[in-house]
Amino acid sequence: MLDLLWHGLVNVAQWKYMLPLFAGTFIGVIGGSLPGVTITMTVIVVLPFTYGLDPLAGLAAMTGVYVGGSTGGLIACCLLGIPGSPASIATTFDGFPMSRNGEPGRAIWLGVWASVWGGLLGALFLVFLTGPLAAIALEFGPWEYFSLFVLAMAMVAGLTEASLLKGLLSTAIGLLITVVGHDPIGSVPRFTFGSEFIGGGFPFLPVLIGIFAFAQIMTDLEKLNGPRNQPVQALAGVRLERFSHLKVNLEIFKQPFLLAWATIVGLIIGILPAIGGSASSVMAYDQAKKFSKTPECFGKGHPEGIIASEASNNANVSGSLMTIMAFGIPGDAVTAVMLGAMTIHGIQSGPLFISQNPDLAYGIYAAYILAHPCMLLICVALMPLMLRVTSVRMAVLAPVVLVLCVVGAYALNNTMQSVYVLLLFGVVGYVLVKLGFPLAPLILGLILGDQIEINLVRAIMTDANPWLFLTRPISGGLLAAAVLSVALAIWQHLRHQNRVVEEEPDF
Amino acid sequence: MSIGRDGIAGLVLLAISLVLLVKSFQLPSLPIVPVGPGFYPAIVLSFMAVASALLVLQDLIKRAPVTADAPDAPRRNYRLVVIAFAIVGFYVLLLPLLGFRVATVLFVGSLQAALGRPRTPRQWAVLAAIALGTAMVSYLVFERYLLVLLPRGAWTGF
Repeated sequence: MLDLLWHGLVNVAQWKYMLPLFAGTFIGVIGGSLPGVTITMTVIVVLPFTYGLDPLAGLAAMTGVYVGGSTGGLIACCLLGIPGSPASIATTFDGFPMSRNGEPGRAIWLGVWASVWGGLLGALFLVFLTGPLAAIALEFGPWEYFSLFVLAMAMVAGLTEASLLKGLLSTAIGLLITVVGHDPIGSVPRFTFGSEFIGGGFPFLPVLIGIFAFAQIMTDLEKLNGPRNQPVQALAGVRLERFSHLKVNLEIFKQPFLLAWATIVGLIIGILPAIGGSASSVMAYDQAKKFSKTPECFGKGHPEGIIASEASNNANVSGSLMTIMAFGIPGDAVTAVMLGAMTIHGIQSGPLFISQNPDLAYGIYAAYILAHPCMLLICVALMPLMLRVTSVRMAVLAPVVLVLCVVGAYALNNTMQSVYVLLLFGVVGYVLVKLGFPLAPLILGLILGDQIEINLVRAIMTDANPWLFLTRPISGGLLAAAVLSVALAIWQHLRHQNRVVEEEPDF
Repeated sequence: MSIGRDGIAGLVLLAISLVLLVKSFQLPSLPIVPVGPGFYPAIVLSFMAVASALLVLQDLIKRAPVTADAPDAPRRNYRLVVIAFAIVGFYVLLLPLLGFRVATVLFVGSLQAALGRPRTPRQWAVLAAIALGTAMVSYLVFERYLLVLLPRGAWTGF
């Protein structure tokens, strides 16, 4: 295994992979640091550039975006008090107060170094645990897969903050989108209304780009000229005070338990499908506060808060990569785009991915590991630029991002139909956001829809007894866990009924 | 008892799921396969119909007072969203007619102007530079370097 990893590292260290990785990481850091631009949107912007590259180069660029974006978000957190991306939301709680106390440099670099160490610690798990996880997945029959997907969807729908019903409906809409087109067994057209284009089904990536990028940009435009734009200048362009990198690192390693625990929290949240970085950042922050000897200092510029949040959101990336590589299920929207890119290159994801494509799999591990020094280098060299980038106006950004979304959809198969699908689902996504429907369950439904149907039909074709879904131990266990997670969600919703606070939609 | 936004959304989704549910029952069954092409859609749609009905019911029983903007939330500029969607719509419409380069210059320029109207000649120059730059750089990178083809204009041939 270490041989393969070494081979992967040497392979990715070549210019043809290093350049896309470096560029991806750079764009990720910039995208992450722009408030209103999420990591998902950044990876969508990078997507069309990867069409012309070889698969590993494209995936390296996307991995770079993912790692860079998870770190870049902290710059806006510390300087503006607004998360640059949802994944770094909890960094705001202590990063901004620390900056306001006159230590913006310490706040930012604590975050950057915690990201590096959290991410690299996560890499250990990624490299050593993905294989065994995939081995477990290989034991799965269609019953277990079906139940696993049901569990994934139940968990995601249950975790949505708005309403469990809306989460479930959102999942159903995602599943419904995949039903349109020819059925996978007998190629009978379903709900196509005579349209030849829909006959092939809605292409996945344009739907994803429309729902995520368009809906996000349009909700950002609503707030344009609003009061939120005023504090944006708060500390933007500030000069960082003198400080020592060694001291910052000592501060992090003084509490190895905090770093390790935040990493594990991030990793676990990452492995669970479609929950995303924001949950891991908040949960690790919460855990750090609970275990801290000085919980009263949290929220006032406590370094522990920054370390926990940033270490966990980078470890979250490794968790998401584990899920996609072991099971073929994306851990979040960013890995969903990566999955889409893999499909374009004809790579089949799933438990056989690592054994069938060892070069690619270990190349992704290597890209993930190397993205961290790249990110550090970019932060060291370009911090003054990034301090200014946070103040780029949405009026400039939005048109450019939208052009790249359109290119991403068009270049998929060089037809305008994909662009029409993009526009259609852009409107659908925006309307759903406005109606308070969470988008993460929809995307998961969209991604898993085909697989759920195929595994369900395959299970029934193998043995018509439907009780097998419950009586096979793993399958039954997974379904029980799905019911439990929905029940837990209902219980929690009932408990917190009066504590509903409207939050930013989490893309 | 009045119906709210969630209730209306639920009703629309309920209608869609019921119409498609009927359609899924009309799909032909296949001779060898034990379950036909309508089997799985019927499960999804039934689930969707029940969840939509529950959403309507929930809305009717308990009209949550806070669903939209909280009172201290920033004022939302929906006019801009409508304009932005319209401009994107025109862009998509013009793309196959004018070609990527011309349509993109127009799109980036007009959307920027709509989002933040330039006032001085310098701001107009910056706007034009960004519009031209976006079109040219993306064209060069995609077509020349990455060999990704972009739309040609039916009217312009460019």
